[in-house]
Parts: sequence; structure tokens; C-alpha cells
Amino acid sequence: MASSCSQALRHHVCKSNRILRVYLQKSWPNRSFVLSSAADQPAVSSPEEIVIPRKKTWSKEAVLQALASTVNRDPTASDYRLQDDPYLTPKTSSEFKLFSLSQESGKNAAKYFINTYPKYFQKDYAQPHIPCLMPETLEAQIEEVSEAALIERIQMRKVKAAVDLYDQLLQAGTSVSLDVTNQLLDLICFYGDSDPAQENVPEQRNEETEDIQDEPQAKKGRAPKANDLLKATWKENNNAERIFALLSEPNPHSYSALIRGMVKYGAYSKAFSIYTDLLNNRLKADVHTFNALITAAPEVKEKYNEKWELIVDLLKQMAEQKVKPNLLTLNTVLKALRRCGTLGKSQAFPVISEMKALSIEPSLASYNHLLAIFYKPGAPIQGQTDILQEVMNEVSGKSFTPQDPDDAQFFITALRICLDTKDMEQAYRVHELLGVGENWRLLGNDFQQNIYHARFFSLLCMMENIDVVLKWYRDLVPSVYYPSSNVMRDLLQALDTDNRLDLIPQIWKDIKQLGHGNRQKLVEELLTLMAREKHNQEVQESLAECALDIKKMYDAGDRGKVMLSWTATSLSDLTSVLLAAQRRQDAWEMLKLFKAHNRVPSEELLNKFLTCIKDSGDVDQAVELVQITAGFCLPETPKLIQRVQQEFELSEQQKNILSDLELQTFNSD
Amino acid sequence: MYRRLLINIYQVRNGLIHTQNTRLPSTKCKERESLASAIWAPCTARPLGTSSIFFNENKESSTSQLEDKGKKPEENEANAEINTAEQKKTEVNEGTKKSNAALTSQLETEPVVKPEDSNQVEKSKSGKENLLELLGAMKVEVTTVRKIRPSKTPRMSERPDQEPMESAHSMFQHAAAEGSQQHGTLNPALAAAVSAAASTLPNKHQAESELLKQLRKHEAVPDTKRRADGQNLGHIIADMKVGRRANGRSNARPTSQIRFDDDGKGYTQDRGIIGELDGVRRRKSPFTSKRLNIFTAGVEQDALSHLGPTLWDIDLANQIVQTTNQMPRNGFEEMIQWTKEGKLWQYPINNEAGLEEEASVPFHEHVFLEKHLDESFPRQGPVRHFMELVITGLAKNHHLTVQQKKEHIDWFRDYFQQKDDVLKEAEA
Repeated sequence: MASSCSQALRHHVCKSNRILRVYLQKSWPNRSFVLSSAADQPAVSSPEEIVIPRKKTWSKEAVLQALASTVNRDPTASDYRLQDDPYLTPKTSSEFKLFSLSQESGKNAAKYFINTYPKYFQKDYAQPHIPCLMPETLEAQIEEVSEAALIERIQMRKVKAAVDLYDQLLQAGTSVSLDVTNQLLDLICFYGDSDPAQENVPEQRNEETEDIQDEPQAKKGRAPKANDLLKATWKENNNAERIFALLSEPNPHSYSALIRGMVKYGAYSKAFSIYTDLLNNRLKADVHTFNALITAAPEVKEKYNEKWELIVDLLKQMAEQKVKPNLLTLNTVLKALRRCGTLGKSQAFPVISEMKALSIEPSLASYNHLLAIFYKPGAPIQGQTDILQEVMNEVSGKSFTPQDPDDAQFFITALRICLDTKDMEQAYRVHELLGVGENWRLLGNDFQQNIYHARFFSLLCMMENIDVVLKWYRDLVPSVYYPSSNVMRDLLQALDTDNRLDLIPQIWKDIKQLGHGNRQKLVEELLTLMAREKHNQEVQESLAECALDIKKMYDAGDRGKVMLSWTATSLSDLTSVLLAAQRRQDAWEMLKLFKAHNRVPSEELLNKFLTCIKDSGDVDQAVELVQITAGFCLPETPKLIQRVQQEFELSEQQKNILSDLELQTFNSD
Repeated sequence: MYRRLLINIYQVRNGLIHTQNTRLPSTKCKERESLASAIWAPCTARPLGTSSIFFNENKESSTSQLEDKGKKPEENEANAEINTAEQKKTEVNEGTKKSNAALTSQLETEPVVKPEDSNQVEKSKSGKENLLELLGAMKVEVTTVRKIRPSKTPRMSERPDQEPMESAHSMFQHAAAEGSQQHGTLNPALAAAVSAAASTLPNKHQAESELLKQLRKHEAVPDTKRRADGQNLGHIIADMKVGRRANGRSNARPTSQIRFDDDGKGYTQDRGIIGELDGVRRRKSPFTSKRLNIFTAGVEQDALSHLGPTLWDIDLANQIVQTTNQMPRNGFEEMIQWTKEGKLWQYPINNEAGLEEEASVPFHEHVFLEKHLDESFPRQGPVRHFMELVITGLAKNHHLTVQQKKEHIDWFRDYFQQKDDVLKEAEA
């Protein structure tokens, strides 16, 4: 046994020796090159070269980013930027608006003063120096007429001054280099030959104090922008065109500047003629020029197919001139397709495939345009649901970086479609996407966030059961979202459908805190819901408490605030809630309010009241009730009198009163 | 699919009763096949062999279904007839399937037979408007199939000894032997129906026995298995439907046909199953559709001379920043923002934090400081000794920059030069 074993071992050693030798011979040539590595390694290991890992470079925010990723959102706390002072933490949407506006305007005011009076802010405390805290120089430093002065004016974006200086330079006979001229052209075209509005000059804005309503039509956020664009139009023979004409040999950059400016300021057909000019000069346009022209394409043609043909033609010319399209090209084409009617639906996907083939990954703006092509707002939705699903399949789980100004529209559009199609599943997917990576940045500004959350929450109220709705409600309100009164009504309806009216007192507290306590419609709906059904004692009690609280809302006329006015329904609803909780005294107070506000109680309410009085056996009050009823001259008075006469034990005096009343009503009839 | 087959069977039965044509099986077969080819319309592009295999699968599943129907307690004449018709078709189809493979090569040579055949087809179907409608709505490929099929079935019946038919033929004989033995066990009504049906066939006796054999086979299927079959039925149906969906429902199909296919209450249910399985099976999203083919990938852009970002680029970046939410969500994010703006001291990410001005200075400048001593210090003596100690200390000092170290040495140089007389006096 042992011998055989040793034999086998020897055999094995022999074999491995042979292998080793063969191996060494094989690796010999390698050795001569990689001496050190071969020497370090035992001969048997592979002669691979050691790959030294590259030095990892961290960005300077790396540590902070790692720390930031450990912080999750706390649904019970308000937004971080609102936490400065607990007293000032906004509780309603209007307060929130006021808060963020004042925060912003405070910063702007400080900046304005620093920049206007730089001489008072010259002391540099910071060590090392922090440039962004120092006042910006707003006045031109170089006085003489030179190219350097021109560059300075261009950098300061002083359009008029730069143009003047350019003219002076030409008159003096000094030639300006093409690059600088192109920069000047850029400047003029960008601002449409007028000085830019100074950012730090306090503007006279008409403050919108009313709440942000979630109507998608409300485009307050965009209104000023649109106005600016409408105001400024491309003027015939403006400075840009004049300077361009002066150029002896304009290069593609000059053409690009001119075309982009023309497109920006609405001179679309002119842009195309400049482009023809460029082609005639045997020059190549750059990608920005093409992007601008594609933007202009739907404007210059009438018919859908003509528009599309023009776009395709432009793309073909791009390919011919070997211009590589970028993401903005893709998005511009898709945006143009939105205006090509049904053609959009057939061409949108080929366009995306084309761009993917060029390894251009679509951004959220591309998907936004795609959704807009397939789901026109207000159009009937038929069989299109799967497009949203396809898009969500495509984007879910990805983290996007902002690359296009339209990126921020995606989430709103997607949720609009979810709301239109009542597609809760996709809405959840959209919401999930929002949580991936830095995607939350792409939700856009406060206004858009509000729209998004309003849509999401309305959909929840519509589609989900109340427990899920309330879970989301606790999560979103009020830490990220201040619901409007309409959305609160949706919530009430959801409570109603799932028969959880016992939660109303809780919701009422929130309503009051959100500043909707003075919304007539909302409060009346709330009261109707409270009065509609009979609940058990405990719930009834809490409802009554809530009703009294609502009553205070009617009474308290806060200065300047919109007062609620009593209507017959709200009064009788409130009274019946109180009656149901056996709060006779409070209800009695309510009944007096009918008279005070010239409202008439219904027969049903009075009967209810009488039943309640009967339970307690207060005869005096019953008689008084009849008297009040008679005061309203209600046709039901005789019936009530009869009831009182039958159901109560009356004294002589009371009987007399009643018979008198009976006579009166009889006479009045 | 199932509904369609049923409809088809009823129509076939009608045809059986109305037209006692010797060619009838062949026309039935044609109808079936044309139907099947409507189902598998895109399949017709493939070689016929495969399409007939599909077809056969179809038929099998449908027969199993029919069994279930047929075995109900209230089994009646009509059901029996359905069954027999189905059986007959089965056998004929089996025959065609076999001959199919052999005949695919002859396809091109056959069209001569077409005119008369199609006439007969027309005749046999004169009473059945529905079917005509259906056939009329069929695709072009279907008609080519129709051209071929009729030509080979008659042949088969005329020359049963033909080579491809051999196996089938032997099977018939075998069945005949068996059928005579077990005749008594079958329902007499069924048997009568079978013989009536068989009389329409050219090879009457064989056909009859084959039919009976088939019936008996089904009778013998144990109940449990049948139930299992019923459970499988769902899967079978689902499979069939997926097949149809995957191929058909394309835009090319005439609307009238679709209406015909999906009439009745089964419609919505079908859609549901189709939709679900569609999602699983069909992974093809519109995002992988064809492209415009304008650009060629990999084209290098001409390097344009760029003088840094233009005004337009800055504006674009500005717009993007403005449309997105840049508000910090917590203190750390705010600090990130401040770091980016340069307002905040950077968090150290390595040991060289805060050494920006020294980053370009190599370490030996810090450590080997002797070179600064050479010019004006004495070569030896206590001063030299002292200065050597000084540079050793400086070499180890990591708080000072190289510049500061130099200044330090320079200070001593000045100092010792000033004290030169004192030193001389002390004969240093």
C-alpha cells in the first residue's frame, strides 16, 4: 500500500516537474520583458502582468455626498429650508409662498446692495479669499477704445455699449478679430439687440397672493417668460444683421449666432434664408444651427407632412455635412413632432431609435415629448395606455441628470396621463422613479411640485381605499405638499366612499391648519357629510365637538379674512349634528342663529329637534320651539303644534299659548 | 379559436347533410385548412410542412375539446354528428398532412387542376354564406393554399396505394379489423351516424371502421384523464390564442374578418388572456422599432474650434438650473452647495487636504535643505553645526511651506552676518 502510494507520489512529482519545465520554457520569453514580476511570482503562477489599480480621485463633495445620502426625508418635519425659525415655519400654501418669496427677495436685496455700493464691501474677511462673496463689478473698467474694452463689455453683457464701441473701433479703422465679432454677434442675437433686464434691479411684480390652485391651466409660473418673448421680436436690419453684413468672411459661428437669434426672436423664415446663404458660401452649419432650424421648421410650414419633410430634410443635411446630432437635436425633433398631428405618432419611435443608434440616450424631456405626442390633453384616450407603460418600462430604475430645460415637465405629464387614464399602477411607478438617484431634482420648482403632488393625491383619493390614501396623506401633507381645498374635497369624498366619516374631526383640524377653514364650499360639504348619517355615541360626540369648532370659524371674523356666511343647509346640518350628539343647549343656540341670519329651518330639522326635546322632557322648550316655528310662518307649524299637544304634558298656560299660535297660523293661512 | 372551430364544425355538418358529394371530404378539408391558414396567416410564408404541423396541433387540441362536449349526458344526434365530422376531418387531415410533405415539392406543377377544383369548391359552399364571407376575407396566401390542397386530396382517394399514403392505409386496415370486434359496445345512434357519414367517403368501409375506432378510443378514456384534459384545456386555449395574437391581429387583416372571428361573448375574455400573455411573451417594445436611417453611427464630428462656452451654452445651463429643483433637502446638501460655490472649506478627502499651494512642490524640496546652507554659512564650526540642526528640524516640520522654510534659513543667515564681528571675536 505504502509503496504504491509513494510510487504514485513519485510519478506525480515527476509529472508535475515535467509540466513545470515545459511551463518555464514557455514563459521564458515573457520573463525577459517582465523581469520583476516574474521574479516575484513563483514560477507556477501565470505570467500575467500586474494591473495596478488606477488612483481613485474623489470629488471634493464626496464626503458630504456620502453623509447626505444617509439622511432620509422625515415626513413629520417641514422642508429643510423652512426650518430656520419654528415660529415662521409655514403651515399653509400661501404662507409657504410668502416664506419662499421673502427668502429669495432677501437674498436678492442683499446682492443688489453689494453690487450697487461695492465700495462699502471691499473688506475681505475670508481667508482664503472667497470670490463669490465679493461685489461684482458692474461698471466697465477700460475706458479707451480698444478690442479689450469691447471684450469686457461683451462679458458684462452690455449690448448697447458693446455695439457702440464696435462702431467706434471700425470708424477708427482698427479691425476687430473674427472671434470677438462673433462673440459680439452672439451677445446681440441672444438678447435680441436690446440690453438685458438687470437681474438685481428690484422688479415691480404684481404679487399673486391667492393660493396656487392645481388647475393645470394656471401657468402663472410661465407667464412672465412668455410675455418677454412676445415683447421682443427680431427687428428688420437690427445691429446683428448690420454687423453681420459688415463681415467680409463670416464663419459658421457667425451664421450660427445669427440663425439662433432669429429663431429665438421669431424670424423663422429669415433664419432659413440665412441658412441658404450659408450653404451658398459652401460652409457647414454646426449642430446648434440645425437645432435652431428644426425648432423653426414647424413654424414655416402649414401642413403636417410638409413640416415633417422639412425636418427630415434638415436631418439629412446634417448627415451630409457630417454633423453629429446631440440630445437637444433629438428633443427638438420630438418637440416639433408634437405639432405634426398624427405623423408624430408614427415617427416618434423611429426618431428615438435613430438617436439610440447614435448612442444618444434620451433624457426625460424626450420621454415627455413622446407622451405629449401620444396623449394630447383633452383628447379621448383610447388604446394608448400601453405607451405610458412602455415609457415607464424604459425609464424605471434609471437615474437622470438634467440635460434639457424640458426635463422637468416629465413627471407632471406622466401623472397627468395617469390621472386621465386612472392608472394607479403607473402612477406608483412614476412616483417610484422620482425617488431614484437625483431624479427628485427633475420634479421642477415649487409650482410644478405642487401640481405633481395634487395630481398624485387626487388619483389616490379616486382609486385607492382610504387606508392607503391616509398613509400617503400622512406622508405627504404637510411636509412636502399643501393640498388645496379641491384636493381636500377629494379626500372627503374618499372618506365618504369608504365609510370612514369618523375621521372627519381629524381632517377638519388639518383643513383648519392648511388655511381652508374659510372655504365655504369645503366647509358645507364637510357639514353635510357629518350630518348625513347617524353614528355611534363616541363618534357622534367627536363630530359635535368638531361642529362647534366649525361654528367658531363662522363666528370669528378675523380681520381681512373672508368670512363664511351661514346658509340654511349649513345651519341645519350643524344643528342636526349637535342634536344627534344630544347637545340640546348648543343646538338651541344654533336655532336662534336661523332667525339672526334670516334663514328658515326645514321641517325635518324641527321635527328632529322636537324629538330630542321630548327625550329630555323639557316642555317649556318645546313650546318655545313651536313659537319660533310660528315666527318663521312655516306651513308645518300646525303639525308641530299638534305633536306638542299630543306628546307633552302641558300646563294651562302653555296650552293657551299653543291654541293662540294655532289660531294665528290658521288666520295667516 | 375554440368558438371558431365549433362554428366551422357546424358548417361542415350542414355541408355533410346538404351535399352528398363524393368529393366532400376534400372540400371540408379545404375549408378547415383555409380557416387554419387564416389563423396562421403569417405562417403561410413559411414552408408548408411547418404550417401543417401547426395546423395539426390545432386540430388535436380541438378534438380533445370536442370530446368533452360530446361526452355530456345529454349526448344527442347532433353532437354525435359533430364528433363524427370531426373524426373524419381528423383522418383526412392526417392524410393530407402526410401527403403534404411529399407534395410540397410538386406545388408549382399543380395549378393546372385549379379551375375545376375551385368550381367544385364554389358549388359545395353555395348554401353557406357565412363561410363564403369568411373565405372572401382571407388573405392572398390562403388562396394559393386552396389551389394546392384540393388537387392532392382527390388524388389520394383515387390512388390510395400511393407511397406517402402507405402508412395511413395500413392503419385503416388495422382499424377495420378492430372496429368489427368492438362494434357492439358503442351507442347504436352513434354507430348509425358514423355509417351514414362514412357512406359519403369513397372508401366507405374503411372510413367507417376508422371512425368507430376513434370514437371508441375516446369512450375509453378514463374520466380522471378527461378531467385533467379539461384542466389542460385552459393552457391549450391560451397557447392557441397567443399564437394567433403573435401572428395576426395585424393591420393587414380586414376588419370584417376580425368581427367574424371574435363575435359572441368570448371576445372580451379572449382579449384579457391575450393581453396578459402578450405582456409576458412579447418583449418587443416600440423603443426597439426601426430607425430613420439618416445618420450613420460612428461619424466623427469635425472638431470645431471652440473658445470655451458661448453665451448660448451658459444660457442653456442656466435654464436647466432654473427649471430643476436646486433646493437642498438637508444640511449636508446645503453644505455641498456651499462647497461648490466656494463658500465652505472642503471636507478632507485625502491626506493632502488644504495643501493646494504646496501640491506642486515635490517632497525633496521639503526634506533636503542643505543646498540652502552652502552660500554664506561657514563650512564648519559651531554655526555650521547649529544650522545643520536647524535644517534637520525644518526637514521634519510639516507645518511650514518650502517658502517659509527658506525664509527661516534666510533669517539665520542675516542674523549670523550681523553678528559676524562677535563671532570673529569669539574666534568661531
